[in-house]
Amino acid sequence: MTSLRILLRAIALLTAMAAGAMAGPFEEALPKFSADSYSDTEAAISAVAGSGHERALTVVEALRDGRLLAGAGQVYIREASNGMIDAATGEIVGGAGNLKPVRVNNRVRRAIEAALGNLTLLSSDTRTRFNAAQAVFRSRDASALPVLERAIAQESDLRVRGALESARAAVILNKPDAPAVEKKIAVEILSRRGDQDSLALLSNVSASSAPDLAKAASDAAEGIRTRLALWNALQNVWYGVSLGSVLLLAAIGLAITFGTMGVINMAHGEMVMIGAYTTFMVQEVIRLHAPGLFDASLFIALPLAFLTAGAVGVLVERCVIRFLYGRPLETLLATWGLSLILQQAVRTVFGPTNREVGTPGWMRGALEIGGLSLTYNRLAIVVFAFSVFAILLLVMRYTSLGLYVRAVTQNRRMAGSMGIRTNRIDALAFGLGSGVAGIAGVALSQIDNVSPNLGQGYIIDSFMVVVFGGVGNLWGTLIGAMTLGVANKMLEPYAGAVLGKIVLLITIIIFIQRRPRGLFALKGRAVEA
Amino acid sequence: MTAPITPALLYLDNITVTFDGFRALNALSLAVDHAEMRAIIGPNGAGKTTMMDVITGKTRPNQGTALFEGSHDLTALDEAAIAELGIGRKFQTPTVFEMHSVEDNLLLASRSRRGPFSTLFARQTPRERERMDMLLDRVRLTAHRRRKAGELSHGQKQWLEIGMLLAQEPKLLLIDEPAAGMTDQETADTVDLLRDIATTKAVIVVEHDMTFVRDLGVKVTCLHEGSVLAEGPLDAVSANERVVEVYLGR
Amino acid sequence: MRTRSVLDRQTIVVIGFLAGAAMLVPIFNGLVAQDSALHVPDHLVPLLGKYLCFALLALSVDLIWGFCGILSLGHGAFFALGGYAMGMYLMRQVGSRGVYAHPVLPDFMVFLNWQELPWFWYGSDIFPIAVLMVVLAPGILALAFGWFAFRSRVTGVYLSIITQAMTFALMLAFFRNDMGFGGNNGLTDFKDILGFPLQAGSTRLVLFVVSAIALGLGYLLCRWLVESKFGKVLVAIRDAENRTRFLGYRVERYKLTVFIISAMLAGLAGALYVPQVGIINPGEFAPENSIEIVIWVAVGGRGTLAGAILGALVVNAGKTWFTGALPEFWLFALGGLFVFVTLLMPRGILGTGQELWDRMRQRSQLHQAAPATSQAAE
Ligand SMILES: Nc1ncnc2c1ncn2[C@@H]1O[C@H](COP(=O)(O)OP(=O)(O)OP(=O)(O)O)[C@@H](O)[C@H]1O
Ligand SMILES: [Mg+2]
Repeated sequence: MTSLRILLRAIALLTAMAAGAMAGPFEEALPKFSADSYSDTEAAISAVAGSGHERALTVVEALRDGRLLAGAGQVYIREASNGMIDAATGEIVGGAGNLKPVRVNNRVRRAIEAALGNLTLLSSDTRTRFNAAQAVFRSRDASALPVLERAIAQESDLRVRGALESARAAVILNKPDAPAVEKKIAVEILSRRGDQDSLALLSNVSASSAPDLAKAASDAAEGIRTRLALWNALQNVWYGVSLGSVLLLAAIGLAITFGTMGVINMAHGEMVMIGAYTTFMVQEVIRLHAPGLFDASLFIALPLAFLTAGAVGVLVERCVIRFLYGRPLETLLATWGLSLILQQAVRTVFGPTNREVGTPGWMRGALEIGGLSLTYNRLAIVVFAFSVFAILLLVMRYTSLGLYVRAVTQNRRMAGSMGIRTNRIDALAFGLGSGVAGIAGVALSQIDNVSPNLGQGYIIDSFMVVVFGGVGNLWGTLIGAMTLGVANKMLEPYAGAVLGKIVLLITIIIFIQRRPRGLFALKGRAVEA
Repeated sequence: MTAPITPALLYLDNITVTFDGFRALNALSLAVDHAEMRAIIGPNGAGKTTMMDVITGKTRPNQGTALFEGSHDLTALDEAAIAELGIGRKFQTPTVFEMHSVEDNLLLASRSRRGPFSTLFARQTPRERERMDMLLDRVRLTAHRRRKAGELSHGQKQWLEIGMLLAQEPKLLLIDEPAAGMTDQETADTVDLLRDIATTKAVIVVEHDMTFVRDLGVKVTCLHEGSVLAEGPLDAVSANERVVEVYLGR
Repeated sequence: MRTRSVLDRQTIVVIGFLAGAAMLVPIFNGLVAQDSALHVPDHLVPLLGKYLCFALLALSVDLIWGFCGILSLGHGAFFALGGYAMGMYLMRQVGSRGVYAHPVLPDFMVFLNWQELPWFWYGSDIFPIAVLMVVLAPGILALAFGWFAFRSRVTGVYLSIITQAMTFALMLAFFRNDMGFGGNNGLTDFKDILGFPLQAGSTRLVLFVVSAIALGLGYLLCRWLVESKFGKVLVAIRDAENRTRFLGYRVERYKLTVFIISAMLAGLAGALYVPQVGIINPGEFAPENSIEIVIWVAVGGRGTLAGAILGALVVNAGKTWFTGALPEFWLFALGGLFVFVTLLMPRGILGTGQELWDRMRQRSQLHQAAPATSQAAE
């Protein structure tokens, strides 16, 4: 607690000093811009920036944009409307004499950048202030210290204040002549901040400074390292869950068709592709006719993709698969042929190249939780995958379609003799499975290239999921997808992406040997027959 | 573990099989002697087929002892090993190799070495050919020897399967519902055939058809809910109150 | 009693066809004038040789699928392994003629800065060892894979899926540079085989003839297998696996045996393929390729052996024609073929032909038995 009090007192002192120095340095510095010498300009920049004057930011920005004009000791700013204002007062002036833009070179430009960083620390916009603080944190520019102190003193927003304080800590820690006490405080602040940058700063300290400071720094660094490792593991789990959701989306429709009909639908990936292309079409139409709806495009695409892919599915079932019932291997071949046809059809219509599917505004950016960074599009896919799963679970459990499908899954002949029209259930289940694949395509269009080959990339993976989880059990599919997703992402840091995948494939091959019917196998005689 | 030595050919003791908590066999005990024929009856779901599954290694019991010839532990062997010990089985629904000729079906079943390399270089000896003719004659399929088994009638398939059993030359035959789908004449012929077989080999027959069982004239075991309900001559068993109750419903 | 003769009609046709091809192609290539319509141009020789390799590959798939019901969607892996084994030999034959002129290391190893040959490349420059590896590598993979898969009774679509996963995993593995097989680019830029330049017309002719002979021998081997009692057990397993088991046959041993034989045949096909096309790369492991093999067999007629050869030749000739004339329609045609054959011609060309033939014969027999019916119906 004492350290905090010392800090506050130090800040108060510095603020007072800064305030005392405010009598007119801005006005004094301005004329230097007209000297037409780089060093004078540089000096002027730092003086203006340090003045704390309300117009300082405007002036430096104008300089950056080449709108600062000078001539004969007078300095003006050209406005966007081509009017002129006095740099010192901001009053509009009439025609001025012979003016030239103040010239800049790289050194001056750097000075401008630094000055802007400092100046925006005092901006009235919280966001700008926060970004400026981050910039200083990264640059560790010692010249920013006075402004930083002022900014801290008048800051009311907690988040910005935190950022400012870490920036100050970074500057102090990096400044060779800063007092040891302050450095100690800085170490504490940084250790609390605890990210990769703080770690870098703290690791730099240890080498050359006083032993107790070095110790504090290395302890803090160690703590941060542990914490980061933890966050890192969590981040990997998140990547895994996110991959698992993608797998879940791709596989869940397959689980239905495979589960009910024992049909290996090799064209399942193409249903996903159809969903993705439906999204593309919807966005094209929106772009042309109703650009305002763009943010809602995915929601419009969802039902359409479900219907399109579902219709194709029903068609495929009625025209091909129903004739192959009871011959799963032949079905596998026929659907493979269908997948080739569908791919080529899409290639002929839309061309072989990737199609651009846009991301709605609300899916851009990322949510930061501690050391975790959850991008919104991934987050949306995870939420979406679980919703689809939940809905499907409810459909299977509480609708008559679900009841029939389950009956057919468990014992087709029995279900048939009880008056369930297994033909129709097959068609509907196939349509449902394909439709779900279609909406998976809407989601996957956000993270994958929309090309005719889109589906191919998922087919082996989704089979692995279904086979691993066990046929005829949605929970098995969920657990299968999540296990494979997380295992994949956990392996990646050690084995690399390709080797990790190979390891996983081999593991699944061996797993199937142990449990030929998956984790959650249906039991019973009908299944064994 | 030293197995209790028993003189019986087949010895089942305290066999329990559960499927997801459902007890298909419940502490079933049964002994069959050499060259004995035994008829097993019982309502649907009594566990008759499951019992055969246990004996032939298709289903592993959760507990209990199953010994063949007093020394072979059936619960530790797989199907092929059990078949090689000399236990043959006819399934409830006839399963023959439909794409093979009748003759080839018998050839595949006939007793000989079963390894891939033996079959690769196998040649039929004149003695084997003779035996084949005899077998075909015995199951009355001589006229059909070249036909594909899939083309036979249901009853003929049943007979072919019995023929395959004989070709195997087992010590114990398990026959699940042989009379299903047969005409009265065929049924009567089957009875004769089985009685003939039983003079040298042990036979267990599962059957619902009571006339058939009566004609066999052998000791009957009645199963119910996975355990033995009654055992003895058919008349005694069918007079048993509990058997009547089970068959007629409560 | 039906006599078991290896020289049945189908065998005579197949062997006659192959012998004819092995003799006529060299004659029409070398002895017939270039401007004659019968002249076989030089570029066609390796193409035809390639077809024969595919036919051998199809034969190996038919042996397990047609006769034992094992639908392997990963047989391309065995083909590719055989090809790599041969490719390694050819690579070593390049010697110091490579771009980097290293006396021992193939170019890609020099490029990767490797200092010495990895152990699994030892002996690859000795032809007999290379030939041994051509059958051993696929055989060992088949043994390892089949051992586990068949013992734990993985069957049907599950087996198909994991064979597909197997070839997919191998493809990913071979794409890696550290595997030591040339990564992405695979093995290529071969110079000669047993001292004969691969580009020379005569070498290509010899390779073609060798392919024809290999296919003929492969066919005879398969024929012998399926006609023996062993083959009958295979068919029994295909039709009623459990029943076979209750007869005392160890199903897994049969499956394993035939799977290994089939894998070795596929490896041999790959080894003959590589010198004729001049390259082997991980793309050969792609699951798509393996599924395509299955359709060759289905088109020709599974379970007929000769049908597999026919199917491979017909489909590949069609592919060559399509990709030249109507490239964008090839996938439609191939996809359509999958659907058409499975739906309408499940027994393939040969099977359907056989069926029609049988029916006609039956009818004519009926006519003979009952002369009263008019003969005009023929
Ligand atoms: N693999 C299995 N999984 C689940 N339940 C099974 C299985 N096998 C048998 N059962 C159950 O065990 C019980 C006994 O079946 P079993 O087939 O042995 O009867 P059964 O006496 O042969 O009848 P039936 O006279 O109809 O042939 C039945 O209720 C059956 O549903
Ligand atoms: Mg039964």
